[in-house]
Amino acid sequence: MPPKSSAGKEKDLTAEDDVLQAVILADSFNKRFRPLTIGKPRCLLPICNATLLDWTFESLALAGVQEIFVICRSYPELVKAAIRDSKWSKPSSGLKIVPIITAKETFSPGDAMRDIYTHGIITTDFVLVTGDLVSNIRIDEVVRAHKERRKTNKDAIMTMVVKESGAKHRTRSRGDSGVFVLDANTSECLHYEPVTGHPTKSIAHIPREVLAEHPEVEIRNDLIDCSIDVCSVEVPSLFQDNFDYADIRRDFVYGVLTSDLLMKNIYCYVAREGYAARVADTRSYDAISKDILSRWTFPLVPDNNHPSDHSYDHLRGNKYIAKDNSVSLSRTCKIGPNTLIGAHTTVADGASISGSVIGQRCTIGAGVVLEGAYIFDDTNIGAGSRVEASIIGSEVRIGSGSIVRSGCVIGNGVVLGKDARLAKFERISRRRDLSGEEADDEDDDDEWEMVEAHQESVTSLLGEGTNAVVWPQKPLDEDEDDEDESVESYNNQRLMRIGDNASDLDLSDAGSVTEDESDSDSDSDSDSDTHALSRTSSATSASLAPDASVSALHALQETAAESEFRSEVRQSLERAFAEGHSVDNAAVELKTLRMASNVPLRRVREAVVAAIIERIDVVDGDPARQRQAIGATVARWGALIDRIGGVDAVETVEVLQAHCAQSPRLPLFGQILVALYQADIVEEDDIRAWYARPASRGEGAKPGPLREGLEKCWAVGARMIEQFDEQESGDEESGEEEEGSGKSAASESSEEESEESEEESEESGEESSDEAS
Amino acid sequence: MSSASPANRAVEVLAAKLRRRQVVGSREAALETVLVLRQVVARARFSNIDQLVSLLRDVGKRLAEAQPKEHTVGNIVRKVLHNIREEYNTASSGVAASTSSKNVFSISKFVLLGQPRKQTVAPKSEATISLKENDPDDPDSFAKAIKPVLMEAIQDVLDELETVYDNVSKNAKDHIHSDEIILTIGHSKTVEAFLKIAGHYRNYTVIVAETAPSYSGHEMAQSLSSAGISTFLVPDSSIYAIMSRVNKVIIGAHAILANGGMFAISGSLLAATAARAHSTPVVVCAGQFKLTPLWNLYHEYGALDFADPSSVLGFEEGALVDKVDVVNPYYDYVGPEMVDVFITNDGDHPPSSVYRLVKESYDDDDQLL
Repeated sequence: MPPKSSAGKEKDLTAEDDVLQAVILADSFNKRFRPLTIGKPRCLLPICNATLLDWTFESLALAGVQEIFVICRSYPELVKAAIRDSKWSKPSSGLKIVPIITAKETFSPGDAMRDIYTHGIITTDFVLVTGDLVSNIRIDEVVRAHKERRKTNKDAIMTMVVKESGAKHRTRSRGDSGVFVLDANTSECLHYEPVTGHPTKSIAHIPREVLAEHPEVEIRNDLIDCSIDVCSVEVPSLFQDNFDYADIRRDFVYGVLTSDLLMKNIYCYVAREGYAARVADTRSYDAISKDILSRWTFPLVPDNNHPSDHSYDHLRGNKYIAKDNSVSLSRTCKIGPNTLIGAHTTVADGASISGSVIGQRCTIGAGVVLEGAYIFDDTNIGAGSRVEASIIGSEVRIGSGSIVRSGCVIGNGVVLGKDARLAKFERISRRRDLSGEEADDEDDDDEWEMVEAHQESVTSLLGEGTNAVVWPQKPLDEDEDDEDESVESYNNQRLMRIGDNASDLDLSDAGSVTEDESDSDSDSDSDSDTHALSRTSSATSASLAPDASVSALHALQETAAESEFRSEVRQSLERAFAEGHSVDNAAVELKTLRMASNVPLRRVREAVVAAIIERIDVVDGDPARQRQAIGATVARWGALIDRIGGVDAVETVEVLQAHCAQSPRLPLFGQILVALYQADIVEEDDIRAWYARPASRGEGAKPGPLREGLEKCWAVGARMIEQFDEQESGDEESGEEEEGSGKSAASESSEEESEESEEESEESGEESSDEAS
Repeated sequence: MSSASPANRAVEVLAAKLRRRQVVGSREAALETVLVLRQVVARARFSNIDQLVSLLRDVGKRLAEAQPKEHTVGNIVRKVLHNIREEYNTASSGVAASTSSKNVFSISKFVLLGQPRKQTVAPKSEATISLKENDPDDPDSFAKAIKPVLMEAIQDVLDELETVYDNVSKNAKDHIHSDEIILTIGHSKTVEAFLKIAGHYRNYTVIVAETAPSYSGHEMAQSLSSAGISTFLVPDSSIYAIMSRVNKVIIGAHAILANGGMFAISGSLLAATAARAHSTPVVVCAGQFKLTPLWNLYHEYGALDFADPSSVLGFEEGALVDKVDVVNPYYDYVGPEMVDVFITNDGDHPPSSVYRLVKESYDDDDQLL
């Protein structure tokens, strides 16, 4: 395959100089534009008479991108041909475009990212966009900000571009958006909460840590997600590691931010200037067309820099008429504001057009009324017809006197007879041509069967001589009460449909839901960013909840997994000790292990502390050398305790106590604790906190050697606390005594203690051995 | 063609930049255009003058069409063509006497052509070059012989652009008198230089209108006051109210049209109309490269260059965006009756004689590129 081999070459090229790379996901991975996307990928649908792919290329070229990889899945040949024939593949465009064809089995953006990883084409920070982007944002500035951040923080793996829009903007999707929790100073994205329009989401869960760790937090529900991401090289590999990530926002961003293992940061770039939005559904198609026509995308407007190089005259009232005098407008036709008319189109007498886009070589009959209609190339609208807020594909023939009501989507090549009447939101395509094309997709087959089964219940009149079939509005097999929570559910999809204000949706559903929606919406209007948020802590409750419902079998499996994990950790640490790995490497290995076997952090801590204690050589009868041995081990490996994915010093002491209580190294407890204290792994407050816990005193433990051990440890702790108290009062007296001297005093005292406790332990050791025998 | 490809590349790059509005401002666009044209001429292969001219026109057409709203691009192409033809005519004076050789007497042409004010370009080479067009033995000989002269002609255009501010403002002290109050709008580099030079000789006051929605007046006021000129910044709405105190309105132009009108930053029409109501003189400072052989055919007031609505209505005003149509023109059209004098780098001219300047600067053949 050409893409692979050429990808290899590019690697060498890009290594030399700093080329800005971009990846376009040219597939939508959903079916929102059906039936327009039959026989054509979505990125080749026109918006304002230029294909979405052209708009995307122009957006990237504007930002100074030099190398673009286009990931195509459906109809890759068409995409490749379109790229080859476009102006972008000419050498003068300064762009290098490489189409990459992924397998049919690529079902999500996540799969595509894994494919990118396996191709190995990414060598540096890159821009990830979808193939339906319309933008004039200076992405290169975002990239610069991203690189600047990477210099100081290697964990900043991604920068998402978002645009302020207000909660109720026509371009902001109601069905599929998100609440962003940002740090007000650094604009780090602290939390992301996906929001669906139906069922209405009125609660966003924000982890308590976010609010605890950041003094100033912005919770924003007024941002348009432009789906422009500046990603670092490790992003594709993170997708590779987490094979269940499908969506970039819902899974990847959410997953990275909620994971306490990955320790990666994601930032947002809130664009103040410029425009960016993606044509994700028919509703945003409508909104973005309007935005282009009313020049929000300037300088990317039809009369100035049309991506397909058409030229238009801009007349007052945002009317755009093709420049080459090929448009024939009748003297009596009315062209209203915000209208674009392509070359070689004829508009007959008395036609009235407003807020519409008409493709090239169309014929608009006499007396036709078009309001908010989007008509692709080579379409013929018969005299006296009326089209409202609908998308009509190319080479469509609509008979005279027809009425197409708002929200209809008419596929390419449909013929409607005279006086056709289409109800609202009908989707219509040509009948399936059974003889010619082989069905290349089982999905399509199912879909078609469903469509054909639906025909009896059709209420719309298609007129005589039609070749069209009407698609069912909602999936037949879906129950009313079976509320699908996903983005693709029918009711949520309705919020993304052209011309659908979903007012009936609000009425027909359980009252509480709709009231919530209207309430919360007005809330978010008034105070602009909070969206009836309840701040619940998910961290603790979430981890408890599954435990309660664990079945016996599950528990059994878990213990098996845990014991396996423990042995794995021991082996890994033994290897680390023996081969003298760095603490960093050992920490990474532990994290991976933990991820693989999915155990709580405490188990890791137990294993690490145990391994370190066992590592310490026992030197009999020479307290000084013993102290030295402990010091050396703690100094070398102590840091590892805090590097396993979370710092909790109290737990460390607890774990240490629990381990020492059962180990022959019990007498060393005091000294180890002091060593940890001196290495700043454990602070005085932590020791006090540990000391104060009832469990530390051995309460709740069964009487026996374990409890005795715990009690002894606690006694050591008690002596240490006393020492601290003395120290403090001493501090108060002397005033300016340094901390270091305090620590040394503590260590001296504990030495004595340890000598004592050694004697004790000999006794206890004897006792325990007696019991064992 | 292969030899021209780097030059071709440069043309494409500039065209893309113009389309994307990465090159804005009339002088910057003009400078970039000259540099590209110089590159094109330097690399061009031709064996007679017509080939070169058609090559340049082709390039000029591409650039001008890339951004029809930066008129200076077309102007510079016309100017370069004019200079090249002139050089060619002087160099080959034996072959064709001069441009006026085709001048047959007629009343209409007498008015139209008039008498050249002066030879814009002095002959570069005293020594006659042996020019031999369409030499079958050595097709490059013509190009080799004439290229140095042509490069100098282009260099002249470049020099004119580079010295335009100095030349426009050399007579500044004759236009601004002590204790005058001047009103200006926008941030025109030419006007800025003009006022600063005048500030060396005279003690006067400038009132700067803040020029919504770009608010470029803010920068202008800052720059002038840091140069030690007493400056006031006023909102656009008070232009009419303070006009009775103003002695002179000095504004810049984006393009000077053949009828003596001009395109200038939006708000200029407001200032000019207010000035007219008070019979305050309106002085326009502009380089001659802004002379454009065009008329304003599209709108009575606007200049057919509309920017995005975001500076007028924020995109974050989501609820409004759907219901409001915003018109945000870059430039106003100020008619010839509103302007009293154009101060250019080549003397001062009333609007009524602009047509002659246009005639002298460009060849008739190049009106349509």
